[in-house]
Amino acid sequence: MPDPTMTPEALERLLASVEPGRRAAVTAFRPITGGYSRLSAVADVRWDDGGTERLVLRGDPPPGDGVFVSDRDAEWRILQALSHARSVPVARPRWYDAAGEFFGTKCIVFDHFTGRSLQDVLRQAGGDPAPGRMFVDTVARIHATPLDALGDAVERPGSWEDYVDGVLELYRAVDREVSESSPVLRYASALLARHRPPPVPFTLVHGDCQPSNVLVADSGEHIVIDWEFAHIGDPREDLGYYSQIPMPPNVYHRDPQSFLARYREQTGLSEEQVNPDTVQYFLVIGMAHLLAQMLRAVDAVARGESRGVMATYLINAVTHQYGLYLELCQRVAA
Amino acid sequence: MIGRPTTEQVLLDCCRVLEDDVLPSVADDTMQVRLVMLGKVLRNAAVRAAHEVAWMREETAAMEAYARTVAATTGADGLQTPLAALTTAPHDSLHLADVVEVYGRASDALSAALEAALAAGRQDLVHEGTALLSTRLAHENDVVGGWDSAGR
Repeated sequence: MPDPTMTPEALERLLASVEPGRRAAVTAFRPITGGYSRLSAVADVRWDDGGTERLVLRGDPPPGDGVFVSDRDAEWRILQALSHARSVPVARPRWYDAAGEFFGTKCIVFDHFTGRSLQDVLRQAGGDPAPGRMFVDTVARIHATPLDALGDAVERPGSWEDYVDGVLELYRAVDREVSESSPVLRYASALLARHRPPPVPFTLVHGDCQPSNVLVADSGEHIVIDWEFAHIGDPREDLGYYSQIPMPPNVYHRDPQSFLARYREQTGLSEEQVNPDTVQYFLVIGMAHLLAQMLRAVDAVARGESRGVMATYLINAVTHQYGLYLELCQRVAA
Repeated sequence: MIGRPTTEQVLLDCCRVLEDDVLPSVADDTMQVRLVMLGKVLRNAAVRAAHEVAWMREETAAMEAYARTVAATTGADGLQTPLAALTTAPHDSLHLADVVEVYGRASDALSAALEAALAAGRQDLVHEGTALLSTRLAHENDVVGGWDSAGR
């Protein structure tokens, strides 16, 4: 596949192909910044019948560029399933350039949703607890998605024990794969396999669960975006993942007990299953795949490859994670 | 060679140029975020340039001593290979690539030693090993100076 060409002209070609009965002109087109993985843009479209609409494009960067890798086919499947299931509000997926025929890269086209990120809303909320509650309720709603509604869009793991052990084994595998051993990961993997928390039923897991991935309209209507790392797993992965998000305000760290009490109330899980200790444990599980990708990117730089500034910048994030992992290990080992 | 300005000073000066001169003149949002990231990476590199050889040499000595103690105490088979690799590493060279090579092998020995201590149920050795992890992490934190997720 050639380099991505996510341009107005490419979008017009796609629209001509999917809507052969009418013609569209792209009247505005701008890239979206802030994402760490995919290429995104917003486009305004005017149809020759007078209709207008705003669309969002989300495509893969060139192979070997950047840090995070995910499967656009899988994201398209899960978006379609969620869109039909209506269990969690998502931006309506419209078209998919699965072969890169139009954009030179796999690219999903969505309806645009007019709203602000919930993280922005939280920043401006002051002491108002409502946006924080909205986040907890949204996370619980993701986890309440009936798995049957996902059909075969997402792979289902086997037993819970095998699943957790498999994730911990990923750390050992990546440690063998990259050129420099990480004693923190090896230790965490060995220690945490000996101290599993009580299991809970598998659910849909967002995989990048943070208020930045919830868009809120002025009406209060909201959607959840960025499903590229979604999978079926332990719902506490999303809680653990969010606990390490550094951007303030972090609703979990502001009041962990209230956050978790509301989450338990919404999900019916027990305090033995969901408490600050299990959240801390599942930080390690919920971060595993992303941290593995960061380590592989850093290793690629060490081998002389360039992954853009993101790979070397994310060394900061790796250190941050190691600190959190070590803190968890010290508590578990005490 | 020209010793002053030091590599640390050169890199920090590059950061100043980047942040004070280049960044304000860049209008593109994506490029602005990349420049902020680049500034952070350069600051990280400045700290590393100033201290990394000393820190790695200090840590290497401590990791090697620990791994040998665990090997002698537990008799763990898994330690023989990493310790043998460490023995033949270029300990005497101060060239950065050699220092990193020795450090990497010592890190592998530390990983294996901690696993062996854990498997043997030796809490005293586990505690000693995690103290080394804390030292390592303190150096890493000195390099990065915090994580703030630029652009998000």
